[in-house]
Amino acid sequence: MALGLIIIYAIGPMRANVLNSTYGSNYDSNYFFLGQLRAVILALIAFFAAFKWVPYKYIKKYAKPIMIVALLLSALLWGLSLMHSPLAKCELGECRWFQFGPISFQPAELLKLAMVIYLADFLARKREEGNIGKWQEFWLPLLIVCGASLFLVVIAQGDLGTGVALISIIFGSLLIAGVPAKQYLIMVALVLAVAVGAIATSSHRMERIDAWMTTLSGGESSDSTYHIENAMLAIGTGGLAGVGIGNSVQATGYLPESINDSVFAIMGETFGFIGLFLILVVFGAILIRMLKVAEGTKDTENRLVVIGVFSWTLAQVVVNIMAMTSLVPVTGITLPLLSYGGTSMVFIAFALGLVLQLSCYTSREVTTNEDISSRGRLGGTHYTSRRRSPRNSREKTSRRG
Amino acid sequence: MPRSNYQHQIVNPASSPRHRIKILQNVVLVALAIIAVRLFFIQIIEHDYWVAKADEEHTILETISAKRGEVYMMDHDEPVAVVLNQTTYQVVIDPTVTKKDDIKPALEKYAKDYIAADIDKVYNTEGLRYSIVAKNVPRDVIEQLADLELPAVWFKKINQRVYPEGELASSMLGFVNAEGKGQYGIEASLSDVIGGKDGLIKSTADVNKVALSIGNDNIKIPAEDGKNLVLSIDRGLEQGVEKITKKHIDETAATHASALVMDPNTGEVLAMANLPNYNPAEYGSVTDAAVFVNQITEVPYEPASVCKSFAFSSAINEGVMTADTTYFNQGYEMVDGWKIRNAEQRSSLYGTIDMRKALYWSLNTGSIYALKLLGGNPSQITQQGREKLYDYYHNKFRLGQATGIELYEAEGFIPDPNEGWGRDSVYANMTFGQNLGITMIQTATAYSAVINGGTYRTPTIIKGELKDGEVIPLETTSEAIPKRIEDKILKDETSTMMREMFVNNRDYKVKGGIDRPGYTIGGKSGTAQVIKDGSYDDTMSETVGTYIGFVGPNGELPKYVIMVKMLGEGQYLDGTIASSLFDDISNYLIDYLKIKPGN
Repeated sequence: MALGLIIIYAIGPMRANVLNSTYGSNYDSNYFFLGQLRAVILALIAFFAAFKWVPYKYIKKYAKPIMIVALLLSALLWGLSLMHSPLAKCELGECRWFQFGPISFQPAELLKLAMVIYLADFLARKREEGNIGKWQEFWLPLLIVCGASLFLVVIAQGDLGTGVALISIIFGSLLIAGVPAKQYLIMVALVLAVAVGAIATSSHRMERIDAWMTTLSGGESSDSTYHIENAMLAIGTGGLAGVGIGNSVQATGYLPESINDSVFAIMGETFGFIGLFLILVVFGAILIRMLKVAEGTKDTENRLVVIGVFSWTLAQVVVNIMAMTSLVPVTGITLPLLSYGGTSMVFIAFALGLVLQLSCYTSREVTTNEDISSRGRLGGTHYTSRRRSPRNSREKTSRRG
Repeated sequence: MPRSNYQHQIVNPASSPRHRIKILQNVVLVALAIIAVRLFFIQIIEHDYWVAKADEEHTILETISAKRGEVYMMDHDEPVAVVLNQTTYQVVIDPTVTKKDDIKPALEKYAKDYIAADIDKVYNTEGLRYSIVAKNVPRDVIEQLADLELPAVWFKKINQRVYPEGELASSMLGFVNAEGKGQYGIEASLSDVIGGKDGLIKSTADVNKVALSIGNDNIKIPAEDGKNLVLSIDRGLEQGVEKITKKHIDETAATHASALVMDPNTGEVLAMANLPNYNPAEYGSVTDAAVFVNQITEVPYEPASVCKSFAFSSAINEGVMTADTTYFNQGYEMVDGWKIRNAEQRSSLYGTIDMRKALYWSLNTGSIYALKLLGGNPSQITQQGREKLYDYYHNKFRLGQATGIELYEAEGFIPDPNEGWGRDSVYANMTFGQNLGITMIQTATAYSAVINGGTYRTPTIIKGELKDGEVIPLETTSEAIPKRIEDKILKDETSTMMREMFVNNRDYKVKGGIDRPGYTIGGKSGTAQVIKDGSYDDTMSETVGTYIGFVGPNGELPKYVIMVKMLGEGQYLDGTIASSLFDDISNYLIDYLKIKPGN
């Protein structure tokens, strides 16, 4: 988050400048930095709220209501956008935000969190009931909820990125919930078929695929390959050590979405291969650590929450970075904790806080003393210290096992 | 790997969570490994490619416009500006964004005098996104408008040439067009000197092509500003000459007239007038493009009997003739079967007369006789005569060649002495200024050599460069400012004898009280027939009148050479009509320059 803040601080004025000169708007040069600072503070509050102040056992009681609220909010946004209400904020024809004065809110982010919690609750219950894999008790309600979510996100809001994250959460949770392999594979095939259909029937998605293929094969530049080419250009010019903070040229307007979806490319230009590699290592460590926590968690529901958050994070990190490096077509998806964007940062921070809380539950079951000391150290909020904590718990867990 | 684990998991459903987590772990590791390899490929292996591509996209080349030099004339001894630079602004609006209720009152309040469009009309035109609503707005007014911070109002900087003297010497000065390029006059011919050298910025720029401070191979070559030129032209003299010339156009049948004043001892041009004039600030409204042309340097013509000066001085300088040499004038001469007649046919001139009289009455038979003497045979024109005359005309007087003055020039032509049919008749005509094409500046420069003691000097309109308030000599460059020639082409005695004859020519002007006592004024007229349907029009229904002469105090070498030319389509304008323009200019010049009479 601190890294994200530095980057936004360095390129925020350029972004403001580009927007001001292109659209005649009047952003202050610190506008984006202050926005990001506000998001980081909110995210830290959310993180601690999830980690320390709100026990998961209270949250899980409301798994269903939260999901319903999330779905209703998305539906409401869709309705508002159809009515061209000023409360629905649209960019490039996609209406993904509520706008209340200076505050905007993206309900899709809430939906992702709700999906994690709802699925954990639902799957754990079905598993206890022994209903996993049964059509009427299991697949039907699941398909309705997931289908509605994906419809609202992908079709109504045109947000393929969130759709990918949701699918990742769903399949991650299903995998760990112990869905029979055959059924699981059928569902994967089914979703793939729907995805291919959705892409083939949408001209702007086909265009993205086309642009991606063109870039991969080194074909002619065009308007549609502009984004990915400039992302590659930013990353490529970074070289081994990068051009240094504040020296990014691509951030001066060449690279679209330089502060949100494309921030990884700007980091590549700024910090070079070394910097990006370290970012990868940090994300890898967080992801692997979450898996360890999941492994060490005995409670099925808790484990599913951890896996849900893991799948969410994994999808965002991998799809975002792969898009920037032209390994997959560009889908609008943010890089967790680094991209500019308040709602997404707050929710992912809340989700990570939740994982941390659950990791503590596992360790508390082991030795209370150790746990208190490790939690004390966690106050620093650094990833490193957070990584240290589960390591302790794992040691205890494995000793137990 | 994930697949095999998965298979394993099917067989052992009991251990599924742990095994399935392993699958996810492998997914993470494989995905991150692919990304890392990809990054290594892009950032390390392809690095040079991307850097080159970035250079291509991020670098802008921008020229820094050099400041154009100003132009000065002399006011006696002080340089005064006649061409200046001024920065003004245009107010541009986007009527779809700028509100009419904002811009209209603002313009009316601050820039009323500069409004260049009907605001109501601008707002009634559909689809208009760009409209210039005010022009020539000075900076202080723009600052007031800018303070209002109206949306979508731009101020476009315009660098303009300003001509405080209006139409004065316009064909010599030329103008600068909308693209900033010099056109005609010195603005074109001395463009490299006045225009300076544009600088260059190579810089990393943002997507809107605004230069950034980041990037390490930014280059800035500063512009070299143009030189401030000081002309040898005297502003007051130019004004007077133009005024007098215009008056003569108004009072005669002439539609066009040119007048040139130069110092025969230095080659400096002091006045160069081509009328009618135009206003260089409003060059766009000129309907007859001929007014852009400098008649004095760019248009070769036949100055007619004025050229007898050159034929006579050639023969005298060769020692084959003096003012007192006599010949038999029968009023005409047969050459190559053509009857060449004198214009003046009064009976008192028939018989044996001297060359002084022949020049006074401008007898063609006299100048043809000079050509015969040059050829060593008083009874006929010879090859030697033609070659000698060519040598004088072309090689010594440099007629039919560009003089090297710092203006665009035509070369004209002098026929070859041996090639072609009817050379004798062509050369007989050349002695009285027909069958050749020379410019006024060539004629006046050659004439200066005839009367200044025999030295040919390249004419110039440049006094120097104004630097820190001082006029310093301008460096000669190969093209715009060539090295000036100084060449002794005639003997002193030749020059003296010619001057004496020219003064004699104006005997009647002295007697008529036109030439004031105390001044030595000499001259020669010319009346050129115009070629119609391939031959000279003997009816003389249209002629071009020329007069050339010199002025100076008694007892001194002539200080000024004046040449005038008058023409009008279908009009008879002879040397006598031209001579009265000369008279007025020479008298004005004496007054304006306060030339004291000699003894």
